[in-house]
Amino acid sequence: MILLPARPQRVALTLLTVSLLPLAVGAQSDPEGIPVTHTAVVQNCVACHTQDSTGRMSRISYSRKTPEGWQNTIRRMVMLQNARLQPDVARDIVRYLADEHGLAPEEARPGMFEVERRMIDWEYEGDEDTQETCKVCHSLGRVILQRRTKDDWTSTIELHRGLYPVVEFQGFRRGGPSDEDDDDPRHPMDKAIAHLARAFPLETDEWRSWSATKRPARLAGMWAVSGSEMGKGPLYGTLTVQRGERDGDVTTALEYRYARDGNTVRRTGRATVYTGFQWRGRSFEGSDEATALREVMFVERDWQSMSGRWFRGDYDEIGLDVSLHRVRSDPVVLGVYPMAARTGQAHTVTVFGANLPQDIGADAIDLGPGVDVRRVTSRSPTAVTAQIQVAADAALGPRDVFIAGSNMERGLTVFDEVHRIAVEPRAGLARVGGIVFPKQLQQFQAVAFHNGPDEDPETDDDLRLGVVDVTWGLEEYTRTFDDNDIDYVGAIDRNGLFTPAADGPNPQRNQNRNNIGDVWVVATYAGDNAPATLRARAHLVVTVPLYLRWEPWKVTPR
Amino acid sequence: MKHLRPINQKASKIEATVSRPDHDVRAMQGGSPGPHIPLGCSFVFSPGWEVDSTGGTAGLCQPVERDLFDCYITCFWPAHVPDHYNYAPDWTAKCAAAQQDWRNIDLIFP
Repeated sequence: MILLPARPQRVALTLLTVSLLPLAVGAQSDPEGIPVTHTAVVQNCVACHTQDSTGRMSRISYSRKTPEGWQNTIRRMVMLQNARLQPDVARDIVRYLADEHGLAPEEARPGMFEVERRMIDWEYEGDEDTQETCKVCHSLGRVILQRRTKDDWTSTIELHRGLYPVVEFQGFRRGGPSDEDDDDPRHPMDKAIAHLARAFPLETDEWRSWSATKRPARLAGMWAVSGSEMGKGPLYGTLTVQRGERDGDVTTALEYRYARDGNTVRRTGRATVYTGFQWRGRSFEGSDEATALREVMFVERDWQSMSGRWFRGDYDEIGLDVSLHRVRSDPVVLGVYPMAARTGQAHTVTVFGANLPQDIGADAIDLGPGVDVRRVTSRSPTAVTAQIQVAADAALGPRDVFIAGSNMERGLTVFDEVHRIAVEPRAGLARVGGIVFPKQLQQFQAVAFHNGPDEDPETDDDLRLGVVDVTWGLEEYTRTFDDNDIDYVGAIDRNGLFTPAADGPNPQRNQNRNNIGDVWVVATYAGDNAPATLRARAHLVVTVPLYLRWEPWKVTPR
Repeated sequence: MKHLRPINQKASKIEATVSRPDHDVRAMQGGSPGPHIPLGCSFVFSPGWEVDSTGGTAGLCQPVERDLFDCYITCFWPAHVPDHYNYAPDWTAKCAAAQQDWRNIDLIFP
């Protein structure tokens, strides 16, 4: 559920903003445009956004965006243009615009990382000038999740120039005349407008096709959930979806279990599925608001599966990657834990799934050549635990898993020893906080690997053996002599969760530096599966807070 | 380093550091391999907001509160600090000297 702030802040219009108004809402000559048929949109927006005889409203009819994109627009109208909207009306407007001026699944998929709030290293390969123009301030994910006419892309750039004049020299315009031998003397922003109008136009085959077939997704029923959480490992469970009050609204009941520690979580929630495929929800453990997880998922057009990220944290930094599949009457295998078994040893493994037969025996579980299933020790519809023996001479590598007619590719990996471990993510970012600003945490995990058939580390044939228990520590990342960042930046706990120190100047540091710095996060593995102690590390940057948040999440800073 | 001999304390420190068996010298000689920081966001300002041009924090304006008014008034980091023009014209009204009054700075949600 997308929420606006409980008490939107009123900000007086400045002269500069007033001067922009004709530019922002001026009539457009482009023959394209989506007629607006929603009463609340017309009533609340028409004072500034003129409507023509075909129902097209200035600006509004000439762009398409995600629910988050429209929410940001509405928030700007409230903040800067003094739009007065009750939260329920604002939600209704966002919903209509996301549904009717939205994106097709093919258009939204490449930018899912943006709305899933993923911290990934991503490069836009469509046009370098466009990337350089936009990324000085924000992710390109925000850009590729919009579609506009050329006039509207131009208006968007002009709005940026009016609201943030410094962008003129930061990226929008080159600093001086172009080189004489430059084939294209246009300013970067002009190149960007041309590229964006060509690459992300308002009218597309994808949107025409989706508009013709889109409808409220019917997702009621039982879904099998498999996922993983950084630092906690894989999780499996079920989600029961019931229809909500309106088409596209659902309520949910969720239960999942972390395979490593057996901890079971039960949550209830609600969600709205925008544009027929964009799941936006929120769930809680009991009635505890502090346990809220925001849910962003992409519903496949066959309504049989969906995937995405559920997240929390003041910077959305803690999250679960999830994949859901509709459950019917057939057994479903979701995963095996542990996901790797060493040769010549006996193991206890648990197969997670749904509709698993209650009379299942060892002979109905096939874990592949060299893996002997001795007996089943416990069984339930969602988990079957068995004792297995892996032959000493079993071939190394992943095995497909078959249970009672259902299967999972590469569900169990056979290995002989752990050759190396790796810390994930390779580079982390935390922000000091806790006094004025919230802390941004960083979770790490250590994963074991076998070098694979080529016996070389970090190659494509390496066998991933799953998350392993390690000892965590910090070491100085030498950039400046004697800055001793490690003494100030914060601490990492036994589960790999780094918590940064407090914000504000630190009188104990040279020149009152903040508690920021660069450190190595070091994992040490001394498990039985490796011939010697193994170490791995990742670079952690602990840096300053953000004083401004553009994302539409509501956060309590203190 | 075999043809050079340190003659002061700093040079001795440099020699000791580069002689470490793990070759763990990063300093500011260049960006480290691997993902960009901050991931997926801006990293072209000089200095950047989260990291300097080498990908670390050593070159940032510090403490951040010392430079905050300049960040605010010139709007050099429009995605990191409220701007002086439109969204938060009175952002620092409660905070005459950021280094002393930094607890009074509001987090802005546009």
